[in-house]
Amino acid sequence: MFSKAVSYGSLWDFAVPESVAESQRWVLSAMHKHGQGLVTMLWRILGNEQDVCDAYQDTFLQLAHFDGGRKPRHVKAYVFRVANNVAISILRRRIAEKKRFSRPKTEAGAARSPVDELDSKYLQETLRIYITQLPEHLRNVLTLRDLAEMSYARIGKILGISPGTARVYRCKAVQLLAVWMNEKEQR
Amino acid sequence: MQSHIVRCPRCQRRLVSSGKVNLALSFIKAQPHRLDLLMRANGQAVSVLKHSLRQEPKAQELKKALPQQTPLAKYGRYGFSLGSLAACIALLFLMKIGVFSSMDTVQTRGQKVIRRYYVKHAGQDLADEVFPTDTGQSPSANSHGPFTT
Repeated sequence: MFSKAVSYGSLWDFAVPESVAESQRWVLSAMHKHGQGLVTMLWRILGNEQDVCDAYQDTFLQLAHFDGGRKPRHVKAYVFRVANNVAISILRRRIAEKKRFSRPKTEAGAARSPVDELDSKYLQETLRIYITQLPEHLRNVLTLRDLAEMSYARIGKILGISPGTARVYRCKAVQLLAVWMNEKEQR
Repeated sequence: MQSHIVRCPRCQRRLVSSGKVNLALSFIKAQPHRLDLLMRANGQAVSVLKHSLRQEPKAQELKKALPQQTPLAKYGRYGFSLGSLAACIALLFLMKIGVFSSMDTVQTRGQKVIRRYYVKHAGQDLADEVFPTDTGQSPSANSHGPFTT
């Protein structure tokens, strides 16, 4: 009896990895379905192709290992939230590295002319820096709304808030960014 | 609100700053990436999945995936032509059901009524002067009447 149980147990051990691999085809389906949207969002957050590939890889790796290889209930919500967090971590790391290696250049950047302040690259970089400093709930809404171009209803579903709340958070995020950018200009 | 902003320097500063944020967001959105970015990202992501998944035909497809245009972007360039065609069809339809001839009839009858009013209240001479069409021209063809521009 006991030996029979052992043999069933070993059979089960062999069967589990195979069935997990079989059942994880949904990871590829998710990649096919949401890949384009994710790449667009990551590109807009990061602005660097290698970083986009790294964040994308990390996102799907986390998805494949979620809860022992099980499919999350809302794959799109999970994937976009993870990608958002991964991208912000990469961006923070990049900003910190940049600060460390080019301190004199950053200090010189404070004395920019008004013409330079309308420079596309400068504005993009400044905005990215400030986006990383936003509180998480505001940042999530801003990135999903403005960089992933989702509707407020969809954002509400992803973040578990109402569309109205998402709208308010987006407005607050823009106000906060505007204040920070204005402060920087006055400094 | 607008008049307040014109007078309030603080609100002006706020408006300029939020405009700058929106401008920066537009710059970020307008920045293009290489066409093969999705392909590369998929390739890198697939390479860390389990061996059995990597061998799936779908995984091979993903490694060659290119960004797909949305239907709006795809057919947007035909929008103007389609709009013009729709306008032409609408005009033809209106002509077919006789809307324009009905409008012409309404205009003619209206002018006749007004002429009668002038005759009654201002006299035949003035009415003939204002509406010289009775001599042979149709009232609708009168381009110097008081109701034409």
